[in-house]
Amino acid sequence: MFSTIIEQVINGIVTGSVYAIVAVGMTMIFGVLRAINFAHGEYYMLGTFGAWFAIDYLGLSYEASIVVAVLSTTVVAYVVGQLVMRRMVGAPAESGVLATLGIALILQNTVIFVFGGGYKFFAGGYIEPVSILGFSLAQQRIIILVVCLLVFIGLELMVTYSRLGMAMRAVSQNIQCCGVVGIDVPQVVLRTFVLGAALASLSGVLTAPVNVSVYGGMGELITFKTLPIIIMGGLGNVRGTFYAAMILGIAESLVATYIGLQFRDTVGFATLILMLMWRPHGLFSTQARF
Amino acid sequence: MSLTDTAPQARRRDLRIPLAAVLIVVALAAPLIGTRYVTHSLIIALIFMLPAHGLNLLVGYTGLLSLAQAAFFGIGAYTAGLLAVHLNTPFYVNLIAAGLVSGAIALPLGIPALRLRSTSFVMCTLGFVIIGQAISKNWISLTRGDMGLSGIPKPYFELGPLSFAISGTTSFYYLALAVCVIGTLIAWALVRSPAGRNMVAIRENETLAESLGVPTWRYKLIVFMLSAAFAGVGGCLYAHYLTVVSPLTFQMYYSTTMLIIVLGGGAGMISGTVLGSLLFVGLTEALRVAPELRMIAYGFCLLVLVFWFKKGLAPLINRFWNAIGGSK
Amino acid sequence: MTQTLTRRMLCISTAILSIAGVAPSLTARAYAADTIKLGIVAPMSGPNARYGGFSMHGAELAVKEINDAGGINGQKIELFNADSQGTPVEGVSATRRLIDQDGVDFIIGDVSSSVTLAMQPVAEDAEVLLLNAASSNPKITYQAGVGGFKWTYRNYPTDENRALVVAKYAAEQRGFTKFSVLSVDSDYGRSAITFTKKYLPDFKGEILSEDYYKEGEVDFRSVLAKIRDNGAQAIIMYGLADTTPIVARQMLELGLAGKVVLIGNGEFNTEKTIKSAPKAMEGAVEAAAWLPQYDSPASKAFVEKFTTTYKEAPNNHAYVHWDTVNLLAQAIKEAGTSDKNKVREALSKIKYTSPVGEVTFDDHNQARLPMILLQIEDGKPSIKGAYTAEIQYPAN
Repeated sequence: MFSTIIEQVINGIVTGSVYAIVAVGMTMIFGVLRAINFAHGEYYMLGTFGAWFAIDYLGLSYEASIVVAVLSTTVVAYVVGQLVMRRMVGAPAESGVLATLGIALILQNTVIFVFGGGYKFFAGGYIEPVSILGFSLAQQRIIILVVCLLVFIGLELMVTYSRLGMAMRAVSQNIQCCGVVGIDVPQVVLRTFVLGAALASLSGVLTAPVNVSVYGGMGELITFKTLPIIIMGGLGNVRGTFYAAMILGIAESLVATYIGLQFRDTVGFATLILMLMWRPHGLFSTQARF
Repeated sequence: MSLTDTAPQARRRDLRIPLAAVLIVVALAAPLIGTRYVTHSLIIALIFMLPAHGLNLLVGYTGLLSLAQAAFFGIGAYTAGLLAVHLNTPFYVNLIAAGLVSGAIALPLGIPALRLRSTSFVMCTLGFVIIGQAISKNWISLTRGDMGLSGIPKPYFELGPLSFAISGTTSFYYLALAVCVIGTLIAWALVRSPAGRNMVAIRENETLAESLGVPTWRYKLIVFMLSAAFAGVGGCLYAHYLTVVSPLTFQMYYSTTMLIIVLGGGAGMISGTVLGSLLFVGLTEALRVAPELRMIAYGFCLLVLVFWFKKGLAPLINRFWNAIGGSK
Repeated sequence: MTQTLTRRMLCISTAILSIAGVAPSLTARAYAADTIKLGIVAPMSGPNARYGGFSMHGAELAVKEINDAGGINGQKIELFNADSQGTPVEGVSATRRLIDQDGVDFIIGDVSSSVTLAMQPVAEDAEVLLLNAASSNPKITYQAGVGGFKWTYRNYPTDENRALVVAKYAAEQRGFTKFSVLSVDSDYGRSAITFTKKYLPDFKGEILSEDYYKEGEVDFRSVLAKIRDNGAQAIIMYGLADTTPIVARQMLELGLAGKVVLIGNGEFNTEKTIKSAPKAMEGAVEAAAWLPQYDSPASKAFVEKFTTTYKEAPNNHAYVHWDTVNLLAQAIKEAGTSDKNKVREALSKIKYTSPVGEVTFDDHNQARLPMILLQIEDGKPSIKGAYTAEIQYPAN
C-alpha cells in the first residue's frame, strides 16, 4: 500500500516534469505579454514532429533529431513572434485569445496538411526499463527528470543574472517604464517567446519516445494541461510553475490510481478551481515574478 | 469620421427603413430562395446567436471574458434533450426549462468564479467546460454517457386543443428565427435599460461604478446567470435540431466559436453579434471549398480580425448605418 | 465624398452578396448526370484528423481503382470530401453541403458515432444513401432499417459481437478468470465493456478494476501499476489504434509484459504495434474486422497498393472505407443503375464478397460481417477463427 503511493508519487513527478518544461515557457510569455498563449502546445507538437521527421525521413539518430527539432521549432517560433507576438504588446486579453487560437489552428492544420492526418510512430529514444529503488522506469523518463531540473536551474540563473532575464523581469513589472529607460519591449517579448517555444519543443522531443504516437492534434491536449498549471503557479512565476506542475502531476497520478483514469484530465481544472476558492491569486505570488 | 464635418450635402433619402424592410423580407424568404444547405447554415447561425448574445452581455457590456458558454450550452442541450426524450414535453416547455436550468446552475458557479480577476476568471470558466464534459461522460444513469441521447423528437407545440409538430428544415428555420428575434429583443431591451448602462459602467471602471452606488457584485452575478440562460436556450435549439446530444456538446470549440462571433461582430453591440454569427457561419461554410486548407484559412482570418479589425465589425456597421441614414 | 463612397460600397456589397447567395443554388442544379457522386464525411482537421486521414485515403484508393478499371456500368465515380472535425454540428453541415451543393446520392461517414447519429435524420430526410464504415455505437442500426431510418446502412461490426467473441475465447481457450478493464472513454470503449460484463459471468470471469482513458491520453503507468498489484490475468482493452503501442511500452516499463496480456480490440496486430513492444504484445488476443496480414489475395493487394500510394501502411479505418466503397460499387453494379432507390434495394439483398468473407445485411441494415479472432504468437498475428453472429435487437 505504502509503496504503491510512493510509486505513484514518482510517476507523478515524472509527468510533472514534462508539464513543467512546457508550462514554464507559457508562464514566461504571460509574464511579459499578459496574454494566455493558446498555441503553446503546438510548439510541443512541432518539436515531436521535427524529431519524427529527422528520424524517419533523414535517417538521423535520436540525439541529432533533438537538435533538428528544437532548431526548426525555433525558426517557426521566430517567424510567428516577428509577425504576431511582437504586436500583441499592450493588446487587450481578448485579442490575445483570438490571435493565439488562430496561430494554433494554423500550425496544427498545416502540419496535418503537410504530413497527413494519420498518426505516426516515434521510433527513437531510450525505452528500456531500469530499476531504481525497486521501482521500474524507462531510461527516457530519467532523462526527462534530469533535463527538467537542468532547465529550471538554468532559467533561475538566467532570470537572475543575464541581461535578457533582467529585461524580462522589468517588462513583466512595468511596460511603460521599460520604454522610458530604453528597453526594447517588443524585442524582449520576441526573445522570451522564442525561448518558451524552444523549451516546449524540447519537452516534445523528450517525451516522444515514451508517448510513441505522433499526430497533428497532440498539442491541444498539452495546452489544456498546462493552462491550470500556469495559473496555480502564479502567472509569470518560474519557481511557482515548477511546484504547481509537480503538484498537478502527482495529483493526476493519484486520481488515476484511486479514483479512475477517466477523471484524470479533469484533475487540473478541478484542482485549479478549488485552489482559486481558497487563494484567488494563485498558490504562488504573482508579485515575485520570475 | 469626416461625415459630420462636411458641409451639408444635397438632401438624401433616409435608407434605413427601406433597408430594414429588405432585411426582414430576406430573413423571412431565405429558405424559399436558397437551397436547404443555405437554410441549414442559417439555422446553425441562429443556434449560435443566442449564446453569443449572452456572451456579449458578459464580454461586451460588463467586461468579463468568459469561456464557459459551451458548458451552459451543453447543460441547456441536455435539459431539453432529457425532457423531450423521457417526458415528450412541448417545445416551449423544453426551451424555458433549458434557460432556467442553465441560469440556475450558473448561480453556484458564478459566486466563486466572479471573485476572480481577469486571467484566473477566464481559466475558471474554461474549467467549467472541461468538468462539464467529464460529468456528462460519467453520470451515465442520467446522460447515458458517451452513448449520448439520440433520437430527440421533433419540437412540437400544444396550444389548447391545437397540437402541431415542427418538421423539416424550413419550418425549423422559422422556429429558430422566432426564438432568436425574441432573444435579440430581450437583449436589446436589457442593454437599453438603466441596467445596461450600469453594466457598461462596471466594464469601464468597476470601482467608480461601485462608488456611484451600482451594486456591481449583484450585477455581475445576474449578468452571468442571464448569459448562461441565453446559452441554455441556444442549447435547446441545438438539441432539437441535431436530434443528438453527446458529451461533445461540452467543448472548448463552441466557447471559442461564440467568442469569435462576439468579438468579430464587435463586442458591446447587439447588431454586431447578429452580424457576427451570420458572418462566422458564412465564413466556415464558405471555406469548405477546400476541406484540407479550411482550418488553416480560418486561423488566418482570426489573425486578420485581431490586427485589422480590432473592434470587430461594429465600427463599420455604425458608419454604414449612419451613412445610409441620409445627410446630417 | 466619403458618403457617396460608402453608398457605392453599399450597392456593390449588396450585389456581391446576392450573387454569392444565388451562385451556389445555380451550380448545384448544373451538375452532370454522367458520374456517380460519392461523398465522404470524415474528420480532416483538428485532433480527430488522425482517424479521418486514413479513411479518406482508403476511399480515394478504392475510387481510383474502380475508375481505372472503367468505372461501374460505364460511369465513373466522383469523390467529394467534407470535413466533420469529429463534431456533430460540422458533420451535419458537411452532409447538407454534400447533398444540396454537390448533389451526391451516396455518402460514407463518419468515424465518430455521435456525428453519424446526427447525420442519420439528414440523410433520411433527403433520401440519400448513408453508409457507415467506422462507428460502432449499437444505436445506429437499432434505429435503422425496420427500426426507422431506411437509408442508413452500416458495414462495420457492432461492439456486441466483438465483446462476446473475445470474452469466450479468453475464458475457454486461455482459462482467464480475472480481468481488468482499460478502455477508451468513448461510446465504443464503454459499450464494448457493457457487453463484456453481460457475458463474462457465463464464463465465470470477474472484473477487478475498471478504468477508461480519454482520447489522447499518454500516461497509463498509474493504472498499469494498479493492475500489476491486483493480480489480473488479462487487460480488457477496447482502445484506439494509436494508444495500443503506448500501453504496450508502459507495460514493458512496469514489468507487466509477459505476465498480463491484452485482450480486446485496438490494432494489436499491426507490425508497428508489435514492434513497439514485442514482449508486451505476445499472447494478445484481438477480434478485428480485418488485419493487414490477412491471407487473401484481395487483402494483400490492397495493403501493397495503399503502402506504395501513400507511403504508410493502411490501418483498419483505411480498410473499412476502401471496402465500403467497393461494397457500394457492387450494389450499383447489381442495381444496373446509379439510381439511389434501386441501389438501396440492391444493397439490402446484396451478397458481397469482401477480402475477409461474405457480407450481407440484416433487416436493421446492419452488415453481418465475419469477425476475425487472432492471437499474437512469436511476434506475428495468428488467426484463430472467424465468427459471424446475428445481433439480438432489443424489442421496442
